Amino acid sequence: MPAITFVSADGDRTTVTAKDGESVMEAARTNNIAGITAECGGAMACATCHVYVAAEWADKVGPASDPEAEMLEFAACEPSETSRLSCQITLGPELDGLVVHLPEAQV
Amino acid sequence: MALAPFDDVITIDHLTTDPYPIYKRLRAEAPVLRVKSVGRTLLTKAADTRAVKDNPELFSSNDPGTPMERAFGAHTLMRKDGEEHMRERMAMAPTFSPKNLKTLWGPAYEEAAKAYLDRLPRGEIVDLFPALSGPLAARILAIILGIPDSTDEEMQFWSQALIDGAGNFGWADEPFERVDRANKAMNAKIASHVPRLKADPDQSALSVMINADDPIPMSQIVANIKIAIGGGINEPRDALLTILYGLLTNPDQLEELKRTGNWGSAFEEGVRWVAPIQASSRLVTEDTEIRGFEIPKGDVVMTIQASANHDEELFDEPEKFNAFRKPNPHQSFGSGPHHCMGTHLARMMLGKIMLPLIFERFPNMELIDPDSVVWRGFGFRGPLNLPVRLN
Repeated sequence: MPAITFVSADGDRTTVTAKDGESVMEAARTNNIAGITAECGGAMACATCHVYVAAEWADKVGPASDPEAEMLEFAACEPSETSRLSCQITLGPELDGLVVHLPEAQV
Repeated sequence: MALAPFDDVITIDHLTTDPYPIYKRLRAEAPVLRVKSVGRTLLTKAADTRAVKDNPELFSSNDPGTPMERAFGAHTLMRKDGEEHMRERMAMAPTFSPKNLKTLWGPAYEEAAKAYLDRLPRGEIVDLFPALSGPLAARILAIILGIPDSTDEEMQFWSQALIDGAGNFGWADEPFERVDRANKAMNAKIASHVPRLKADPDQSALSVMINADDPIPMSQIVANIKIAIGGGINEPRDALLTILYGLLTNPDQLEELKRTGNWGSAFEEGVRWVAPIQASSRLVTEDTEIRGFEIPKGDVVMTIQASANHDEELFDEPEKFNAFRKPNPHQSFGSGPHHCMGTHLARMMLGKIMLPLIFERFPNMELIDPDSVVWRGFGFRGPLNLPVRLN
């Protein structure tokens, strides 16, 4: 049951307990985290679940795949090297304590 | 467990002329309702429409009972699931890349938009449906698809024929006769561009599909082009007219937008308020339940995104047009694997390019008698006319 912290663009921190195997996007949606839209429901088709993985977690989370990186170019806010589509990050015990930063806008 | 309640009072005519009050009542009283005239189980709550679209194994797009295959002369990707769907979708995807949107289609749209706006008369009443919105949607799509010598009239005729054919649930003769004519013309037009694009490839949809390393069958390439024609003209046409109606009937919001330039937000609100595609169907593959009602295998559910977009649990005063509405979790582009492929293109063309441009050109545009604007449509919906004076 990994814990994940969402840091809004304003700096507000919300920590939630996610389920093993669910995506970061799903954890956000279940917990009504405002800064993630996830319009396509996790199909990697819309780029509205964009997150900036906190620097210290980037290696553990890993980089975006090629198709994911392509979709990230559609993100409303400029992606960084640690940007991911949160629907593509699967949570498990190794990501317990993960911190992600939310962009100012998803659309 | 009981089946969902059954209604034999609502008619298709009601749904076509004035659906929103019906959906409002259904959300409150019967969010899962078997409607006789439609032959489907209507789902009017946002949580349900999203859950259905996000579960393609249980709610399949592959419904052989629809007129689409007859109309299109093909089994299109819209009616497929799983890997086969994804393969056909990905075949066209390169055309819609962020790079192409920024470097090719954005500039092409801006050039066409300016030319079409230049043609519009100032100071007199003009109906933007036939004068601007329809033709411009047709023009840019012809370019993006790789059939640029198609006229605006042809593209619009083909689009409507495909839509009417696919929607011909009464299995009447006329819509099929018309779409058969359209198919003949589209097939010829597409074939005429193949040699050119093989010799001189570009980023258009036809080109990327025929020149792929591992191409999908030609029948599916043609089907994809037709899906784009069916899906890529009426929707941006209606979206633009709906947004303009919303802005021109809310001048205070329009003034604020001219000041802040946040046209993207106005775009999202327009498509939420009157979703250009109001409803979609899915075939139920196993016995299941929604809100405690039994939904048997073989049933066809209809997700009413028009209603999801007005769900009181998500939206304050949903019947009001509010260009600054935040958050705006509408479902007008769908959800799940079939999420609209034209989403980013539509947001760019209308939200980033057309809206600022048209109000820069005609800052005092005036809507002539809002009550004279006719709204129509059950599956697809928008204004049939938008008479304005361009000042």
